[in-house]
Amino acid sequence: MKRLPMLAARLCAMLALALLSWNAGAFELADLQKQLRAAPVVRGHFVQQKFLRSLPQPLTSRGDFTLAAGKGLLWLLRTPIAQDLRIDASGISRRDETGKWQALPQRAGAGRENQLFLSVLAGDTTGLQENFDLELSGEPNAWQLALTPKSALLRQIFDIIRIDGSTLVDRIELRETQGDRSVLQMTDAVAGQALTDEEQRAFAD
Amino acid sequence: MRNNVRSPIERWLPRLFKLAFLLVLCAGAWQCRNGWPVSGNLMDLVPQAGKDATRQLAEARIQEPLSRQIIALVAARSGGDAVVPARQLAQRWTDGGLFSTVQVELEVDLAALRAQLGAGRLAMLPAADRRQLETDPAAYAQRRARELSDPFSSSGLMPVDQDWLGLTRRAEQALNPGGAVQYDVRTGTLQAEHAGRRWVLVRAETRDSAFESGTPQRIAAQLERDRRFLDADGADLLVAGGPLYAAAGRAQAMAESSWIGTGAAIGIVLLLLLALRRARALLAFVPVAVGLLTGAVACIAVFGSIHVLTLVIGASLIGVAVDFPLHWLGKSYGMADWQAWPALRRVLPGLTISLAASLVGYIALAFTPFPALTQTAVFSAAGLLGAYACTVCQFPAWMQGWRPRPWEPLLRFATAALRLRERLTASRSALWLGALALAAAAAGGISRLGIQDDLRQWLSLPAPLVQQARQIGEITGFVPTSQFFLVRAPDADELLRRQARVSQALDGLVQRGELAAYSTLSQLVSPAADQKALGRELAASAAQPDVWKPITDLGIPYEALRQELQSLAALPAVTIDGALQGQQAERWRPLWLGIHDGQAAGMVTLLGLRNAAALDAVAGTVPGVTLVDRSGELNRMFAATRIEAAELKLLSYAAAAVLLLLTLGRAAAWRILAVPLAATACSLAALGYLGQPLTLFSLFGLLLVSAIGVDYAIFMYERIAGAPASLVGILLSAATTLLSFGLLALSHTPALANFGLAVALGVAFSLLWAPWIRSPAETAQQPSFNH
Repeated sequence: MKRLPMLAARLCAMLALALLSWNAGAFELADLQKQLRAAPVVRGHFVQQKFLRSLPQPLTSRGDFTLAAGKGLLWLLRTPIAQDLRIDASGISRRDETGKWQALPQRAGAGRENQLFLSVLAGDTTGLQENFDLELSGEPNAWQLALTPKSALLRQIFDIIRIDGSTLVDRIELRETQGDRSVLQMTDAVAGQALTDEEQRAFAD
Repeated sequence: MRNNVRSPIERWLPRLFKLAFLLVLCAGAWQCRNGWPVSGNLMDLVPQAGKDATRQLAEARIQEPLSRQIIALVAARSGGDAVVPARQLAQRWTDGGLFSTVQVELEVDLAALRAQLGAGRLAMLPAADRRQLETDPAAYAQRRARELSDPFSSSGLMPVDQDWLGLTRRAEQALNPGGAVQYDVRTGTLQAEHAGRRWVLVRAETRDSAFESGTPQRIAAQLERDRRFLDADGADLLVAGGPLYAAAGRAQAMAESSWIGTGAAIGIVLLLLLALRRARALLAFVPVAVGLLTGAVACIAVFGSIHVLTLVIGASLIGVAVDFPLHWLGKSYGMADWQAWPALRRVLPGLTISLAASLVGYIALAFTPFPALTQTAVFSAAGLLGAYACTVCQFPAWMQGWRPRPWEPLLRFATAALRLRERLTASRSALWLGALALAAAAAGGISRLGIQDDLRQWLSLPAPLVQQARQIGEITGFVPTSQFFLVRAPDADELLRRQARVSQALDGLVQRGELAAYSTLSQLVSPAADQKALGRELAASAAQPDVWKPITDLGIPYEALRQELQSLAALPAVTIDGALQGQQAERWRPLWLGIHDGQAAGMVTLLGLRNAAALDAVAGTVPGVTLVDRSGELNRMFAATRIEAAELKLLSYAAAAVLLLLTLGRAAAWRILAVPLAATACSLAALGYLGQPLTLFSLFGLLLVSAIGVDYAIFMYERIAGAPASLVGILLSAATTLLSFGLLALSHTPALANFGLAVALGVAFSLLWAPWIRSPAETAQQPSFNH
């Protein structure tokens, strides 16, 4: 029951990816929700940086991602180590050396998070609004969404999640109360219509 | 008439009695100074486990939450969110003031938790991770590197730069209670999902040990209101907990004892009015009241409190206690010039012998190891003494000048019955034939008799309560098991090692699906020596940069990692006491029993056990491990006590035989004993034919039957004021006994119903067989003892 920060991090990543599929012109949350399912597939690159107080340089990892509405998310880490991850309704899996998907040891409570994630994917912003105070500002092609956790407990772990976007989500920043922060940048994100064969296989088993 | 003159003793007796009774009343009032000392705790009726202090402490720890804790689950009927109604429920409980703690939200003190995890990052490391760090640190480093680069599992409660190795993350995992109940971060509540509905958990502890005071009733009333509130909000409520069972058991026992008491009293009033046809005869209730009061006071004086089960049985004792005045008043049927003191003088020896015979039976029971029987025995023995004292000392003073008005039809009926009996015995061969047939029938019935004892017979829980407890078990996966392991070792480290070995064995059971889960201290903390050794090893590995290369490849400076590794050697070892600090250790806290007499002791508790037989093997493989199986032990004890009760019964027969031999002579002794023996055999057979099991309580009932049988036999043998008058006397007393115990047979508590049935059958058979006894006048012209 004490896995809150992991939850925070995971929530952040999930939100980020969920928001990727939110359309640019969505100034009203309701509009965002309406346009959520417009792109069935979004692909792009990511750069994740973790800024720690004690290190001059951030810890950086890079890779590619594929988000498929109704299926889940492929998170293909390339550097500094290669690692394929998949998040779907059943949880998080990692591709092992033989190419088989292995479910990562998950705590039983993750079901709730996955459910939240999937409800966001499905365009259900009520799930988000239950957990966060949402504040949308800016222009349709340069907007900013601030998420402040409602629960006192989550507020002890992170202060705010800031999401910047133009046509798609560009950058997600999570500020932890202890001073560390994580920045996730999406580059070259493009909306697609269908999964490749390889992607389909990855979601299949 | 010389008989009419009261002797000085007879003038003093009422005063003495009044004084003594006043003392009893004062004692009773003093006992009730802190409320009614009535207990509903079933465990009060079960023998204490051995003299082993550590074991008693362990059992008390297991019992404690059972007697105080209440668990409620709230879910919206629509399948939606039930947090708001759950919070309102908790608020009502807090406002109600019945509970010392009410918990719906967990207050997580993150700072304290972080400090605890930081200090315990070696101590609380799960065994598998410990092994990997010791045998293959490079593989661990690789795992950690993957974790750090995965945005979904990179952070833990501790900032990454305070725990590069991610040890606290794993320690944190060990704290996960597992099972279906999960912490919901959003609301801070514990929730369990089952069949598409989310249940919010609310826990509360009662202020007093719930068994002892009036609390259970108030809790039951509170829950009734809550159910209505939640119903209006469209939410369902499930509740379980010891206090509720105590409330239900107590309410039922109280209700039963009052309606059995009232029923018996009304029946006896009618009977008295019908048979003696004078209002003053109702004073016969005074000895009964005195008896009940004396019994209760004696019981509380000996045991500190009186159990509800004893109270219910006590209510039925009315029917036995009223026999004393009845035998005496019943003599009016044979004595035209019935007068209080002279009549008493004539029945006194009979009354005294029957009292002595009953006391022998009860006192024998007091030596069984079951407090349930001991308590009933003390209550009944003291109660009978009180009733006897009142009848003998005080009653005649009140009844002086009273003229009975016997109801002739009753006497005519008794005479006719006796004449019928005479005719039946006229033919010797018919008599023998009848006796043989009866013996055969009795043997047939007894052979059908099943023996069965179970603690569940002592308590009848309302079906809804049982149903809710089962549902809560299904939803939360929390099905506590009464068996647990008690592990002892010379020191705390060895205790943890032994517990770890038990865990290994239990893991096998979990894998085979024979056990759902278990809790052991070794899950929370490793031995201090092992912590230090691991710390030293990790510090040494700081000199091998190759081992940690996967982590440094991520961009983490080797210097930072080296510093952390070296600091681990200096990390102070965490003791069991230290690891148990804080809210996260709540689940393990009761398991640590401390160090007693140079021995460290701890428990391993089990959840959802499906195969109890497998546990014995586990206990055998590790030294210092005892399997404590309370229910199995109780069942063995039930069996042993049954045998003991049977032996005591034989012993009480022997004692009664000696008593009768000394007072009434040899010829009388065996005739008199034949009545209870025949009645007991017939009752056993009847129980067999009725398909009723023979339980500890029915054995106890039969013990009572032997006392009653002796009683009837003595009165029929002595035939003071003639056989018909004596028959009327026992007819009246049998009617009252049948009334009270017959009503007890309708109790919802199986043990009590069983007891009532056994006594009712026994009394009926005693009544049937007592008239067959041949009077001394018929056998020889030996003078009766009381003249």
